[in-house]
Amino acid sequence: MAPEIVFKDATTKLAEYEASGGYTALAKARGMTPQEVTDELIASELRGRGGAFFPTGRKWSFVPSKDQIPKPHYLVVNADESEPGSFKDNEILSRVPHRFVEGCLITAHAIDSKHVFVYIRGEYEGPYEILVGALEELKDRPEIRGDVTIVVHRGAGAYICGEETALLESLEGKRGQPRSKPPFPAISGLYASPTVVNNVETIVTVAPIITMGAAEYVKLGVPNTRGTRVVSLSGNVVNGGNYEIVPGMTIKAIIDELGGGIAGGRELKAVVPGGSSTVILTKDEVDVGYDFDSLSAKGTAMGSAGIVVLDDRCCIVQLGIRFSEFYEHESCGKCTPCREGTRWLTAILRKLEDGRATQSDLDLLLDVCDRINGKCLCPLGDSDAIIIASYVAKFRDEFQAHIDEGGCPFGGESSLDGVLAPIQMHTHSPVAVVPA
Amino acid sequence: MSATEFVKVTIDERTVEVPKGTGMVETAAAAGIEIPVFCYEPRLGAPVGACRMCLVEVEGMPKLQAGCTLTAQDGMVVKTARTSTQAAEGQNSTLEFILVNHPLDCPVCDKGGECPLQDLTFRYGPGNTRMTFPKRTFEKPIPISPLIALDRERCILCYRCTRFSENVAEDGQLVAINRGAQSMIATFEDEPYRGHFSGNVTELCPVGALTSTQYRFEARPWEIQKVPTVCGLCPVGCNISATTREGKVKRVLSRNHPEVDEGWLCDKGRYAFDHLHARDRITAPLRKAGPRRFEQLTWDDALDAVEAALRAGGSSTVTALSGGESVEEAYGLAKLLRQGLGANEAVLPEDVPDNLDAFRAPLSALRTAKTIAVLSSTPVVERAPVVDLWLKAARRLGATISYTRPAGAVDALVTDDPAHAASVEATNVYFLPLTPNGRGVADAWSAAGDGEPADVEPAVLVISGDEAALNPGVRALAERADTVIGFGMFEESFRGIADLVLPGTSYLERDGTTINLEGRLQRQRRAVLAPVPDVLAWLAKLAERFGVELSPYAANVFDEVAAKCFGEIRYADVGEIAELPPRAERRAATREPGSQTEPGSGLRLVAYKPLFSGPAVERTPELQFQRPNGELQMHADDARARGIRNGQTVTVSSNGTSLELKARLMRNLARGTVRVADGQQGDLHPEVEVRA
Repeated sequence: MAPEIVFKDATTKLAEYEASGGYTALAKARGMTPQEVTDELIASELRGRGGAFFPTGRKWSFVPSKDQIPKPHYLVVNADESEPGSFKDNEILSRVPHRFVEGCLITAHAIDSKHVFVYIRGEYEGPYEILVGALEELKDRPEIRGDVTIVVHRGAGAYICGEETALLESLEGKRGQPRSKPPFPAISGLYASPTVVNNVETIVTVAPIITMGAAEYVKLGVPNTRGTRVVSLSGNVVNGGNYEIVPGMTIKAIIDELGGGIAGGRELKAVVPGGSSTVILTKDEVDVGYDFDSLSAKGTAMGSAGIVVLDDRCCIVQLGIRFSEFYEHESCGKCTPCREGTRWLTAILRKLEDGRATQSDLDLLLDVCDRINGKCLCPLGDSDAIIIASYVAKFRDEFQAHIDEGGCPFGGESSLDGVLAPIQMHTHSPVAVVPA
Repeated sequence: MSATEFVKVTIDERTVEVPKGTGMVETAAAAGIEIPVFCYEPRLGAPVGACRMCLVEVEGMPKLQAGCTLTAQDGMVVKTARTSTQAAEGQNSTLEFILVNHPLDCPVCDKGGECPLQDLTFRYGPGNTRMTFPKRTFEKPIPISPLIALDRERCILCYRCTRFSENVAEDGQLVAINRGAQSMIATFEDEPYRGHFSGNVTELCPVGALTSTQYRFEARPWEIQKVPTVCGLCPVGCNISATTREGKVKRVLSRNHPEVDEGWLCDKGRYAFDHLHARDRITAPLRKAGPRRFEQLTWDDALDAVEAALRAGGSSTVTALSGGESVEEAYGLAKLLRQGLGANEAVLPEDVPDNLDAFRAPLSALRTAKTIAVLSSTPVVERAPVVDLWLKAARRLGATISYTRPAGAVDALVTDDPAHAASVEATNVYFLPLTPNGRGVADAWSAAGDGEPADVEPAVLVISGDEAALNPGVRALAERADTVIGFGMFEESFRGIADLVLPGTSYLERDGTTINLEGRLQRQRRAVLAPVPDVLAWLAKLAERFGVELSPYAANVFDEVAAKCFGEIRYADVGEIAELPPRAERRAATREPGSQTEPGSGLRLVAYKPLFSGPAVERTPELQFQRPNGELQMHADDARARGIRNGQTVTVSSNGTSLELKARLMRNLARGTVRVADGQQGDLHPEVEVRA
């Protein structure tokens, strides 16, 4: 059994959390200087769990002192989890809200911030209620809250607001569109002040690291991917759900041992390893350690740890349409290549699926990917281009078959309906309830 | 201030030295290299990097970089599309993507021929299209106001217009809605885009998405002429370029004078040229033929009649001026009357303080002022609109702006009251005159003669210009005069009061000079021939009859005036981008202690002359929606004290009379003052009570 760090002694109740040692890490951290806390995080080798994998302690250390920039510091927690395939933050906020709040308070101490904003995905009604409930419980506990204010802000249904600068824009009440960097948020973030933006899973790991000490934490996992990772397993797998694993475990093992193998006794076809934005792995590539270095070697990434398992009924072109439609739908419209390119990619993919495509359309598809990739303001458009190009690279025969056979070889038999919602279902409803 | 640090940047193998932090677009320009842009426009605030047209390759950076958001750092090596295939492919890609949804309706698009998208596509874009599916469509064109049509299909979403609305005009009315490929420019709930500066977005638009309704389908760029001149509708004197076709003004564009207007125009200056074609335009001399009726007469008869009337009036002739005349017209008229008749009595349009030249500064200096006092009972934007944009720019940069008398010295004072100008300690003083060229007219009048004005009962009243003819004071004087001679453009202005009217011309139809509120002498050029003879031409003929020598040419008249009061500057030296004369010597302190009116329980009511008023605006149908609509401007604190919310209908009362107006709360006016547009104050007294 893997050690639990994130979900250990999960509870939403303050009393139970404290009974199992909750908020002692906060007391310990407050006994340390901010620099010491930051140094501990650097020593823990914790890397950002949102997908970019940036070393957390180093990110904190970029925040200038108030002598250098005399402005308030802000901690913004990115809980706008919207990556298709990822649902870990949902469960974290729902099951260990106090560990999360404790992480917020420790981080606020480390970066000398009095203001914490949690930007939570609007559809996450359940986690929102639980988090607010946890904060309610702290209302008459000034010794825990200190002089830190935690504001929970609900998003309005835009994937792009998970991009840190778009999130900041949205939090400021503006249109959720990415800013061009530099300046980076650490220097000029929320309200043009020094800001640290961290993912929920990153923040929830902070208290355990302080409790166990960086030296213990780095013993877990493999180089460049320490500690544990909460993995969202979904798709054609028997037991989907979130699993806290120790990096180094292979994807194959995650699917077979934790997920109970492929549902319905089907064959594995491919795996999306880290949420929709990551390069696909074929069935022959899944015997790979689920860690930064191993996945990089395969040209892909852990991303936000959403593993989508696809069985042999899956049409890769249809998969591409699902994802490309998603990026088209979620493109903010600010930069040209993403706004126009994602729409174009979807159109070409549909043409392939419908059997109207010719050989030159396949070349065009790749060329449009090339023309988007690396030219956008933020990673959204790039992601669409990268994954579609990877589908063609790894499943070229299947794309060719669509052209040669004048249509989809799978027809309506593709199993995607149980795997990913089509775009028509991506409608935002402010009252949508995501079960906690 | 530390010395500017210069850095060396290599662009396409050319090395330039620029101040550290200079934008890459400007750095490349310094090296004589173009980085093409759509969204980048430094006047709109920080670059946004949205359109991706400016992609360049930077040594040491793995991906292409947006040139507009890149700043010059020492040793940077940059390659543009000229030397980098990667950058060339990037720019080609951007254009291909933009054109994916852009309708290729250039042949019927007003922008065609002067369109940055067209130009850059020719230079950097693909030669054909690979797009085979239907383009995105929108309903079009949408009138976002009676002045502006929006074609959302042509829009390339560079966000220049919304950034102008948000960051420059600060009206926040134009926004982007929806997202991704469905993003579009819109106003809130399709309300018209109402504001003093809305027309600038049509000029900022790099495609034909925002077009002027006045100019739609009126001309093509290869059949127009552009005449560089200066707007004559307010005392700012924005530099403009009049587009003409077949002898008619078709539109007015800005012509960036970085010290005066920075390339912005108000909607009055941009759109009110329609008055040239007004139905009641006077095209021939007129003689009164009944209480409300004129009859035309020939020029010979008219000049005889005017001569006879003036001879009868002699030195008992009084002249009322508008302040819209050019220096030369005012001087010609003054010379004729003062030297020919000894008629030295004039009703000048306004008092212009003559002691402010020692505090003179370019308007652009407002932006960098740290402390500014605005002591103006008239809203600045209504009297000198572009000054308001400079004030907003200053505030965005952190300036403190007070609307009451400052306790100490300030960097800049903006005032409409000469008394304030003399009593506040300020480094720079900007006086806001009421009329476009009030000062030039006053200077011209005094330069034309030295006879003392005699306080005479007017036997003959000469009214120069429509504004003077519409002035209630002048009209009262006309009642008392035996004969009234008018010079002006519109019959309506003179009907019922003038016995004889000679046709006048507009600022777009004449050569001459004007002096703006900074004291800057600027040259107006004739954009189109007037349908009537030039004012100076018949003034010269009249002058000849009185033995006064007057050239019919503005250049000669100017040189004569200049020798007397502008320090011998020659007409040809007043360039297209006119310079501000140096500051005058500061005279001995003449500061008077200012009077600080103690706020009473009531509020002081000010009726201001709105920007969108006057003969030119009245004759421009598209501008009618911009006219004031019964708003009472009041300070937010005064409103709060009375429990009044923004937009609420309030009762304004004084001495038993009351009015209902809509409250508009603002912070850029003095507490204790409320304002309405002139004509909407009814019978209210200057001290009023306002109730929710």
